[in-house]
Amino acid sequence: MKVKVCVGSSCTLLGSMGILDQIDDLKDIISEDADNYNDEELEVEAIKCLGFCKETAEKVAPVVVIDDEIMFNATSQTVMEKIVNKMRK
Amino acid sequence: MKESYVNLINIRRQVFAKIAKMAYDGTDLSELEKSSFEILPGEVALYRDSIFRERAIVDERLRLTLGLDVRKPTDYHRVTDGISEADVDETQFIEPLVNVISFACEACPTKAFNVTDNCRKCLAHPCTNVCPVNAVSIGKDRAIIDQDKCIKCGRCKETCPYSAIVKYERPCAAACGVNAIESDYLGRAQINTDRCVSCGNCIIQCPYGAISDKSQIYQLVKALKNNNHIYAIIAPSFLGQFGPLATPVQIFEGIKQLGFRDVVEVSLGADITTLREAKEFLERVPEKNPYMGTSCCNSWTIMVKKLFPDQYEYISDSASPMVETAKYIKNKDPEAKIAFIGPCISKKLEALREDVKDYVHFVITYEELMGMFVAKGIELSEIEVSKEIQDASTLGRGYAIAGGVAEAVKNTALRIDPSREINVEGASTLHECVKLMRLAKAGKKNGYLLEGMACAGGCIGGPGTIASLNRVRKAVTEFKNQSEYETPFDNDTIDEKLRSK
Repeated sequence: MKVKVCVGSSCTLLGSMGILDQIDDLKDIISEDADNYNDEELEVEAIKCLGFCKETAEKVAPVVVIDDEIMFNATSQTVMEKIVNKMRK
Repeated sequence: MKESYVNLINIRRQVFAKIAKMAYDGTDLSELEKSSFEILPGEVALYRDSIFRERAIVDERLRLTLGLDVRKPTDYHRVTDGISEADVDETQFIEPLVNVISFACEACPTKAFNVTDNCRKCLAHPCTNVCPVNAVSIGKDRAIIDQDKCIKCGRCKETCPYSAIVKYERPCAAACGVNAIESDYLGRAQINTDRCVSCGNCIIQCPYGAISDKSQIYQLVKALKNNNHIYAIIAPSFLGQFGPLATPVQIFEGIKQLGFRDVVEVSLGADITTLREAKEFLERVPEKNPYMGTSCCNSWTIMVKKLFPDQYEYISDSASPMVETAKYIKNKDPEAKIAFIGPCISKKLEALREDVKDYVHFVITYEELMGMFVAKGIELSEIEVSKEIQDASTLGRGYAIAGGVAEAVKNTALRIDPSREINVEGASTLHECVKLMRLAKAGKKNGYLLEGMACAGGCIGGPGTIASLNRVRKAVTEFKNQSEYETPFDNDTIDEKLRSK
């Protein structure tokens, strides 16, 4: 599974590094309980601004993309829940 | 700001971006009336019981970010009252720096030990047996602690086999190393300014975001628009703060795009401070002074001044890295106006000091700078620039991490006089600093070099940071190792006389 976390200016301002830290921590939670998760690799990437925040007046930051699904106003709990749901056996 | 307080980060930093944008756009400040509505639109409360209260609190944040005082809820004031004073291009700063937004404070009860549902009223009930004031008794459903008798020693908590007793503390008071948090008549936090050293730890720990400092971003942006001699000096902890993709040189270039003439590492000033403190230590300790405390952390030095006034003379006279860096620039460009960018809010006070105010004209935090990047639409990781930053030595760049200052000074002193034995001790929370000073005052640290830092982990744990401690520690260490100069002696930017051994 590929998780991309935007670390452009707006997303960084509103906490995207906190999301990255939480996903790192989640990796530990998963490896401690490896039997209950599938073997799929959790690949995390910090990416440049995708431009969504500049195209709209709506608040979208932070932006996270899990596989092909785009999440606006992402929070670490919703991101982690999605990852866990996809990876748990 | 504490990374897990996501909602508070949201509110706090949106305000920074908003005020910076108003300054860049030249928006009339009367528009401030609308700002809290724009930040929190709609009629459904997101964070608190009522959207109107949320907006009222954001109004106070907007005022503080403009450098204005919080309004008293008991007096009638418009949100825009006093803005003409703020609508200038120089720091208009009135103490106090750290302010409680009283109606954002939820009046958390003060420290207590409470019995929880885990209690089974067990036969042994050691909680009653270990209490030194006989405050614990066994009630109908569980153990009961008589709060009037309790002296908060915590023995009952330690001994309970069911973990049934918990310690409860107000987060602001628990974070304060100098007992400066008191209560007003409604039980809300109130800061005793005689004790407060403006370290900002209560700001980052309050889970309601009820405490905030004042900012200078509005005035700084105005100045940037009018004056092309404004320089940024950036503290050694800047690495990794602005996202994992932003390289040090992109950060420097991004700062220039905000309107600054140039950017210099404060680690350069750290090299100068190191040389001065090393010489000062060798000259004074132990003959003239029993020990020497470092001088770079402003909250630590204010703490010593306020709580240990008779020991204050043993704190180094050398100017802080911020001041030394500013002096270096001022020497090259007498017209220079200098803005310090760092993790620290206490520097905002240091810059007001009589001996500093002609060198440092603005102080902002990384969080506030990030608000400026967003307001100006700057994407650091997309800036194309290839240059190297070589302002400072490995030792100077290490100032950001607890232990780094003493290491630099000790290492440098030993290069001047290898025969000396130098003992070093450090403290890196305000609580620890106070303990260390008690020992020093009692004569138990004679001959020592004492490094005091008010924030946990050193400057990398400062209240104005964006990235987590671990992230920044890694980035700082990497940047340290990229320096061309091992010690301040090798740094040829520095005056040769000062570098002579």
